[in-house]
Amino acid sequence: MNTIDPRIHQALDGELPLEGVPAELRPVVRRIAAAADLLAAVGPAVSLESRVMAEIRRPAPSRSRRLTRWLASPHAITFRIRPAWSLALATAAAVLMLFVARGGGPELSEHEGLAQFVGRFPDAQSVHVVGSFNDWRPRSLPLEDQNHDGVWRTTVVLPAGIYEYMFVVDGERWVPDHLAERLVADEFGRENSVVIVRPVRR
Amino acid sequence: MKLSVALLALLAGPLAAQSARARLEGRLPSAAIPAVDSLVQLAFQEGLPTEPLIQKALEGGAKQVTGPRIVAAVQVSLAQLRDARALLARAGDRPPPLPSEVTTVAWALRRGLPAPVVERVVAALPHAPRAAAMHAIADLVAHHFDPDSAAGLIIDAVHHGLQRERLLDVSTAALHELQRGHTQAEAIGLVRQALPNVPGPPKPTRGTVAGARRPGAAASP
Repeated sequence: MNTIDPRIHQALDGELPLEGVPAELRPVVRRIAAAADLLAAVGPAVSLESRVMAEIRRPAPSRSRRLTRWLASPHAITFRIRPAWSLALATAAAVLMLFVARGGGPELSEHEGLAQFVGRFPDAQSVHVVGSFNDWRPRSLPLEDQNHDGVWRTTVVLPAGIYEYMFVVDGERWVPDHLAERLVADEFGRENSVVIVRPVRR
Repeated sequence: MKLSVALLALLAGPLAAQSARARLEGRLPSAAIPAVDSLVQLAFQEGLPTEPLIQKALEGGAKQVTGPRIVAAVQVSLAQLRDARALLARAGDRPPPLPSEVTTVAWALRRGLPAPVVERVVAALPHAPRAAAMHAIADLVAHHFDPDSAAGLIIDAVHHGLQRERLLDVSTAALHELQRGHTQAEAIGLVRQALPNVPGPPKPTRGTVAGARRPGAAASP
């Protein structure tokens, strides 16, 4: 580190007249004095402290803004996984996709089809469909009114074939399906509805 | 070998009756069970299908019909099965007729198809399952189509290669033409011209399949 001659300090501080400084040091004293005058003329500069304090006083950005900024700015992501885990992950993804593609529900064989039963019974507390597909058991197959609009419905998987049925409303009232295209006398003074279940097309 | 066949024949009758009685117990008035059971045994001995009789009895029990009326209804069903078998024999079906075909013909007669029309269909479709054909014709007759013309259309469809449930699409197509304002005769003519190209039924949506369930006890009639 270069040290400054103490006589220069004394001359700048006014303790030593310029004439008392050796001739070779006088230009240095003059340059430093000129530089000091120039700095004084520019005026007080914004200090580092004041700039830091101004930054601290500025309100912090909102959480969403910080999130946006974080999402917008590039980040390096390192992903390390064991091959065995990646295989298991791929299998799980494939199984999930298969399940979504099938849409859940029962698996239908080639000899099975779907029968949809729909009836409008606005004041009913319960509706069941009873027929030759469930041995005429009155309470085995309920319809549901999910929207509470009086329209009761259910979809049933059945072996392909021809079935007779009726609705049983509130456990006691036997009603034919008025939407059914086929009706047949039941030998008991009423008419059964007829549904033909076709194998589901694939 | 002969002994085992004889034993099997001896055992088969009581086993069938036992199975029917077990299904009927608690499901219809107890006084009606012996009479229904004897009718079921009779049908079995005559080589007729027994399931339609059991179903009719269960239906009567579920509908809380009196015992005598249940027995009467089962007797009517047995008579229909006998008529159906006789019709199949007249139409040239080689005996013994298949139980499924006897049931099909009994169904067709119950749905109001004239016996001569049923005979014509049986004779025209000697080897094919006829259930769908019979119901397709019955659907048309129920909408006031001439029975002979309806049978002719369905037999033509079979000759064009359509089988089983596809025959129901033929009757549906004719009914659609009726809804479009054509007469029955025009509807049959239009569909006959289009054969074998008739639209099939819509595929069920994924949501429909997903929401479907199986009934607890399913038994095909």
